[in-house]
Amino acid sequence: MTTIASEYGNENNSVPIEHRFNPYSDNGGTVLGIAGEDFAILAGDTRIVSGYNIDSRYEPKVFDVGDNIVMTANGFAADGAALIDRFKSAFKWYKFDNNNKKLTIQSAARYIQHLLYGKRFFPFYVSTLIAGLDEEGKGAVYSYDPVGSYEREQCRAGGAAASLIMPFLDNQVNFKNQFEPGSDGRVKKPLRYLSLEEVLALVRDAFTSATERHIQVGDGLEVLIVTKDGIKKVYYPLKRD
Amino acid sequence: MAGLSFDNYQRNQYICAKGHAQPKATSTGTTIVGCKFNGGVVIAADTRATAGNIVADKNCEKLHRLAPRIWCAGAGTAADTEMVTQLIALNLELHGMWNDRQPRVITALTMLKQHLFKYQGHLGAYLICAGVDPTGAHLMSVQAHGSTDIGEYQSLGSGSLAAMAVLETKWKPNMTRDEAVLLCAEAIESGIWNDLGSGSNVDVCVMEVGKDAELLRNYLTPNVRAPKERSYKFPRGTTAILRESIREIVDVEETVIEFNKPEAMEVDA
Amino acid sequence: MNGISVDINHLKKGEVSLGTSIMAVTYKDGVILGADSRTTTGTYIANRVTDKLTQIHDTIYCCRSGSAADTQAVADIVKYYLQMHASQLPPGETPTTKVAASVFQEICYTNKDGLTAGIICAGYDKKNKGSVYSIPIGGSIHQQEYAIAGSGSTFIYGWCDKNYKRDMERDECITFIKTALSEAIKWDGSSGGVVRMVLLTEKGVERLIFYPDEYQA
Repeated sequence: MTTIASEYGNENNSVPIEHRFNPYSDNGGTVLGIAGEDFAILAGDTRIVSGYNIDSRYEPKVFDVGDNIVMTANGFAADGAALIDRFKSAFKWYKFDNNNKKLTIQSAARYIQHLLYGKRFFPFYVSTLIAGLDEEGKGAVYSYDPVGSYEREQCRAGGAAASLIMPFLDNQVNFKNQFEPGSDGRVKKPLRYLSLEEVLALVRDAFTSATERHIQVGDGLEVLIVTKDGIKKVYYPLKRD
Repeated sequence: MAGLSFDNYQRNQYICAKGHAQPKATSTGTTIVGCKFNGGVVIAADTRATAGNIVADKNCEKLHRLAPRIWCAGAGTAADTEMVTQLIALNLELHGMWNDRQPRVITALTMLKQHLFKYQGHLGAYLICAGVDPTGAHLMSVQAHGSTDIGEYQSLGSGSLAAMAVLETKWKPNMTRDEAVLLCAEAIESGIWNDLGSGSNVDVCVMEVGKDAELLRNYLTPNVRAPKERSYKFPRGTTAILRESIREIVDVEETVIEFNKPEAMEVDA
Repeated sequence: MNGISVDINHLKKGEVSLGTSIMAVTYKDGVILGADSRTTTGTYIANRVTDKLTQIHDTIYCCRSGSAADTQAVADIVKYYLQMHASQLPPGETPTTKVAASVFQEICYTNKDGLTAGIICAGYDKKNKGSVYSIPIGGSIHQQEYAIAGSGSTFIYGWCDKNYKRDMERDECITFIKTALSEAIKWDGSSGGVVRMVLLTEKGVERLIFYPDEYQA
């Protein structure tokens, strides 16, 4: 018995009809965090999309969540906002219950793991990043998967254009695939901390480049810079097409 | 065998059923428009080509020539618009030669619609077809399934709603050439800014009765990339050379051979 | 096989459809065809000034409903057949409406798996004067004194049945069609725009157009 390709109904049925409500959507955008020696930054574009539409050209998605920690959750915007709300609320209770004790970034990081894993079977559809300074005053960036697996890193890109930006960061921050000239590929380029100016330049180039090649990235770039003196916010316009 | 080959159709259906994704074709996102004016017609397009969410080409050409004075703006599957347009351009040329006449826009449109209808929408070509011929200036559109529309102004593609919003508010009858060009460019720009599938530059083609068609490539370039903050030049030697082998693929040897070089010619006996 | 089930209810993805209100009515001098002017792709109005009244021969027209691509293709083929047929006729004679309608029926019936086309064919010829043929989706043919079709027609069956009169005067018939289509457009979301009419009589073809501010009044 053979099937005939032209048998009608065959083609229509190959695309299943969806009957169930789908609670998730993709609101695009991209985020990026880099840790320096005595600072850390979290950057994100300010565009919100649905399908081929722009829902907003300026919707901030990197937030100061208190105690010199900045946080972003990129992907499904509603889940991102909900996650950050939950963290902020928990943060308030932590301060209230513990005589205003400072929340270290390690503790914040571990708590966010629990927030995410708490919804293991109905996850927050987001890539989460937090940044701040550790107990030695060194820059720290933590990154998460949607269900709470996390890691401290020197740098991480998340969201729509993560796959475009991450290789660039590997090469420019961690000097991957770069060797000392004349060493014939035997000596890796030695790692060093980048200055804030260098990091800002890299971030801007990463975002202007992602804007060129990813349709969901653009409009504006907002960067939150964490130093021992507090959090500074800077904004750069991006292309709007 | 003439026409398209469907040899791999069943095999591909089987592969898809096994959970493998179909290859992405570039691309559906586009804004194209057309508008008539006193003594001619103008069409315009953006220049972004996408494959999914990635920009495949930042400055592609979506304005195609069917005949010297008949041009066509294409939305939908890039390959289909390209091929269908080339095929009809060829047949129009032959048709024109056979009948010893200038090709007409309605002829191009009929050829396009009959070809597209035959393929029942599987050729994803959405075209705005315009031009001038011995019967005047014309503007029409064809959809992938083979239906056609006629109108004073048209828009197609994912940005067609953004463009139509501009056309519906600013179009007026009996426009001049310059007014029409400006209106079309503005409609395309609306697509560029508000539709993610459209972007980069504006291409325009003006066809005036009794004149050669004029293609204004990159008529507007509102999206020039800002210079980069840093230089990404690597010092020579950054990339390790692990192995090196240089081969001479062709040996060039030159030997001059002279055949019985004539002696000083004897002139007289 | 458990009974015949053909999925005629929907168009291929992204296909342009004529969610339509169309009708044709015989009257004293001949026949009048009427149609709205809306073409849709999903919820988007792809064309708000469509001409769904298509000429098949000098005084034979058709109203198209269903898939725009299918009905245009069919109309083009019938038009071609009728040109060939007319050239074989004795001088001075023209094809009858019945011939045109039968060609429509033949094509719609033999290609019923692949077509979404609901057509009303109407015309004027010396022998039969005005006549109307309805060719609905399966490819059957029905001669009628008047015919209504398309998604908007469902709302006006009762009204038309009550108000239709044989051998109406020209103005009376125009008002009949205008009122009927106005109601169809009012209640059917996929019909709209202007009301177009074509009058087919001994004198030839006359085209009329009515804008919303008039027919809605």
